[in-house]
Parts: sequence; structure tokens; C-alpha cells
Amino acid sequence: MSTIELLDLSVRAGSTTLISDVSLNVEAGTWCTVIGPNGAGKTTLVEAVAGLRRPSEGSVSISGEPVGSMSERERAKRVALVPQHPTVPAGMSVRDYVALGRTAYHGLLRAPSALDRKTVDTVLARLTLDEFSHRDVFTLSGGERQRMVLARALAQSTMVMVLDEPITGLDLRHQMTILELLQKEVHECGLTVLATLHDLTLAGQFADRLVLLDHGRVVLDGPSGEVVRSEELEACYGMRLRVIDVDGADVVIPVRH
Amino acid sequence: MTLVALATLGALAVAVVCGLVIGPISMGTSRVLGDVVSHLGLGHSTLTPLQSLIIWQVRAPRMVLGLLAGAMLAVAGATYQGVFRNPLADPYLLGVAAGAGLGATVAIVDLGGGLNTPSWTPLLAFGGAMVAVVVTWVIGGRGLRSSTSTLILAGVAVAALFTSSQTFLLQQSSPNSIAVVYIWLLGSLASATWSSVTLVLPYVLVCVVICVAAGQALDVMSVGEDESRSLGLPVRRVRLIVIAASSLGTAAIVSAVGLIGFVGIIVPHIVRLLVGTSYRRILPISVAFGAAFLVFADTIARTVMAPSELPLGVVTAIVGAPVFVIILSLRRQMVT
Repeated sequence: MSTIELLDLSVRAGSTTLISDVSLNVEAGTWCTVIGPNGAGKTTLVEAVAGLRRPSEGSVSISGEPVGSMSERERAKRVALVPQHPTVPAGMSVRDYVALGRTAYHGLLRAPSALDRKTVDTVLARLTLDEFSHRDVFTLSGGERQRMVLARALAQSTMVMVLDEPITGLDLRHQMTILELLQKEVHECGLTVLATLHDLTLAGQFADRLVLLDHGRVVLDGPSGEVVRSEELEACYGMRLRVIDVDGADVVIPVRH
Repeated sequence: MTLVALATLGALAVAVVCGLVIGPISMGTSRVLGDVVSHLGLGHSTLTPLQSLIIWQVRAPRMVLGLLAGAMLAVAGATYQGVFRNPLADPYLLGVAAGAGLGATVAIVDLGGGLNTPSWTPLLAFGGAMVAVVVTWVIGGRGLRSSTSTLILAGVAVAALFTSSQTFLLQQSSPNSIAVVYIWLLGSLASATWSSVTLVLPYVLVCVVICVAAGQALDVMSVGEDESRSLGLPVRRVRLIVIAASSLGTAAIVSAVGLIGFVGIIVPHIVRLLVGTSYRRILPISVAFGAAFLVFADTIARTVMAPSELPLGVVTAIVGAPVFVIILSLRRQMVT
């Protein structure tokens, strides 16, 4: 079981502060979603946890170990990333793409081991990608493609996964598919998830906890039901929101002026 | 893939035979091969001692140097295209050609008096090439903080600086030395000897092995720098090692044979059309394909207008461009 700990984290790019003084603790086997308007610093936060951005101040740790002191290889065994705009290299098969997730395990000079191949097979089957496994990645639809990117992250066999807007551009059914697959990993395998989402209704339905980020700072951090009903949420987006309970799920609707 | 590999190896074998058999003095394929076999202790050669000398001291070193040059330039081109994720990358991208050109010009104009190509030309060409790449690497941010496009732009700037210095030197020198430099720049295997082969062989062997071993890393890098880092690839270290190996090997080849264009950019693309986009396949096939391609091109270069020779760089382009276009259109037909 792993936890994500951010302590007074600030990230700057030149003279611009992207996030400042963010402290956050995601318990092992739970799902935390970061919400907030565009430019709030969500992507920066995700990239810092994935070790792609160095903290200007403060620290990011996974199970107590600072992300910055790990080698790329060690880090790839601890935390997997689903980026917002994954690069899809035309000409590569779906299976080869998913197998990239095993890079940290077999290294660069050795061929994938039997365990590596088995892991890839298992993940392909779990995400019902086996029938596509020999297709060119470029021929997949948006939903299939996103499932494939998730499969690559799962093939890394990490206990922590960070996802940046994993359902952007997908239709309703594919959005649900991706989030339900992820929730299954959290419940059944104890995966720790830190995700960013724009859809407040889905964010509330799937996360154990919501963190509201604005101008690089944490504005509110709490159970989903409280955060979606908060005045702070309305203030951050600069608009009125209505929350309706539909069979126990909070549906967030923007109110037109 | 297996078919392509076998066909390439077959072409390589044919190229080796062509390199030994074809020449101004006709000796017959079976007699030449008989002489080669007799050197392995089997049977007796029917060639005269002079004919045997032509095979072993003229054609063989030239053929072997052609194999090494073709293999190195092709694999370096493929590696550069992978590491820069840029299909237009070639082995001269970071200033190797301009640096070698300036080094050779200094050797010919200042040290050789502009009349001939002095024996230290390869050394100065090699030095010039390495200086250019190192300068590019340093001003391009050592490939660490900066993106690869910064490195490419630094290469453009360094190449411009070295090329204009070379032009200045030439402009100050005699018309004769311009001709000598020009001939050197066009690239040729005509001056190949066993000593030039043994000089470049260690560089080429080590660098080709490193480049081919980088196939898996380059496949990971095809998803971009950030993603490959998140997958566990030490991107910066890989980039440094791979660029160093490609540049070193290219510099060694350029110092021995001058600037042979087109092989480094066209061979990897032909191979890519044949075997797909994985560098684990592209790199080894490029080694064999590039070697065979350059020996064929050289055979054409030295026979078509015998006894004079065509510039090798001209032949590689004249042969390479149609081959590329044919494979491109065949593939398009297959896809549609």
C-alpha cells in the first residue's frame, strides 16, 4: 500500500508561480480527484507527483520516499502516469504500446521476460483490448485509445497512478468505462489514485475525496458531497451551481444567468 | 521481417562479390572467388600474383571501407531520426559535415599548400567534426535542460559558422586548392587502403553496436520525452550516449571517405518502409542495407565512366532517390 504526500509544494517556471504551498496526503487505496478551473495548476500538480517537474520548494513523496531522489527506473515502478495528451506513435501495435509500461522492469538491453509478457497479456484482457492487440495504435477510436493508455499505465504494476484529465474528449459511455475500470483497480487491487477531472458530477461520483485548486493553491479539501456544495466552488468558477441528489449521486449543474 | 532480413543479407553478399569481382580488369567471377577461397586454405588460385594483388590490395580494402561507411552512415542516420523524433535528421545534423569540411580545408590549404591532400587530412577532418559536435552539444544546452529542437538549431548555427569559415579560407587560397577541397568534399572510396580500414574499424564497430543496442530505448522515446521518462527511461543519458556514438562513428567515416550524402537519410527511410517503425528492426537492417547499398553505389561509381570515377555522393543520390520512390509507391499501393 502506498500513499502520496505533498508537503508545502511550490513549483515555479521562471518568475511564474504555478502552484504554491500545496500540502496534500492521499491515503493508500483511495481515490483523490483534483478539480478547479483552467490554469489552476492541476497539470503541474500531477506532473510533480510523476517526477516530471522538480519542486521549487517543499517535497513530493511516495510512501515516504522523495520522488526527486528516485532514478527514472525506480520511479516508474512506483508511480504510473496517464498524461492529458498522450503521444500515439503511428505504426506501433497496441500490444507493443502497452508493453512500453514494462520498460522499467526489463531494462533497455534485455528482452521482456515471461513475467513482462504475462503482465501485458493480463492487462490487455482486463481492459478488453485483446482483440485489438495487433492493430496499429493510430487506427483506434478515442475511447479505445484512452483505454490503451490506461493499460500501459497498469502494465507498470505500480501502487500509485496519477491521471491528467483521463476522460477528456470521450463520449459518456467511454467516460464511465474508464472511470469504472479505474475504480475497480482501487477497490480490488488497492491502487492509490490522484486524478484531475473537469466534470464535477463524475468527479464527485468516483473520488473518495475532492481537492479544489485555484490559482495554484488548495482552496478546499474534503469529502465529495461537501466540496461540490461549497460556496468556494462557486467562487472559483465565478458562477452559480446547483447540486441535485439523483439516487444518492450529486449532480452538479451550472445555473445560466 | 524475416524475409526482409534474409533479402538484405543476400544483397549484402552480392554486394561483397560485386565489390571484389567488378573492375576495369576483368578476371572472371569464379576465378576471383577461387582466389578468395584459396586464401582460406581451400583449393588453388588461378589468378596471377598481380591479379591477386589487385583483389587484395585495391578492391578488398575499398569494398570493406564501403561496407563500414554504408553501415555507419545508415545506422547513425536512423539513430538520429529516432533520438530527435525527426524524419529529416541525418548524420550530419549536429555539424559533423561542416566541422570535417573545415578541418580538411585547413589541412589541404594551409598544410598541404593547396596542391594535394596531405596525409593528416583525415586527422584534421576528424578533429573538426568532433569539435563541431561538442560545440553544438554545449551551446545546445548539453541536451539536458533544453529540448532537442534547441540542439538541432545549435547544429544549424555551428554548421553555418564552420562552413563560412571554410568558405573564407578557400576564398583566400588558390583555385587549385579549391578543386582539391571540392573533390575531397564529394566523398570517395578511391583512396581506401587496409590502413584506412583498420583506422576506422574500431570506431565503427563500437559505435554500430551501441546504436543497434539503443533500439529498445528509441522505441520508448517515440512517445516523447516526458512520457518516456515516466516509463522509466533515463532520457538524457540515453540521448547523450546515442548522439555521442553516432557522431563519433560518423566523424571517423567522414575523415576517411569525405562527405557521402544521402545514405544516412534515405537508407533508414527505405528500411522503415520495409520493416515498420520499430527501431529494434530498423537499426540492424539499416546496418546491412546501408553497407550493401554503398558498395553497390561505389561499384557503379567506379565502372560507369571508367577509367574516371563518378563522385560517390552523386551515385548514392541517383540510385537512392528512385529506389526510395519505388518502395514508397509500392507501399502506398499495398496500403490502399
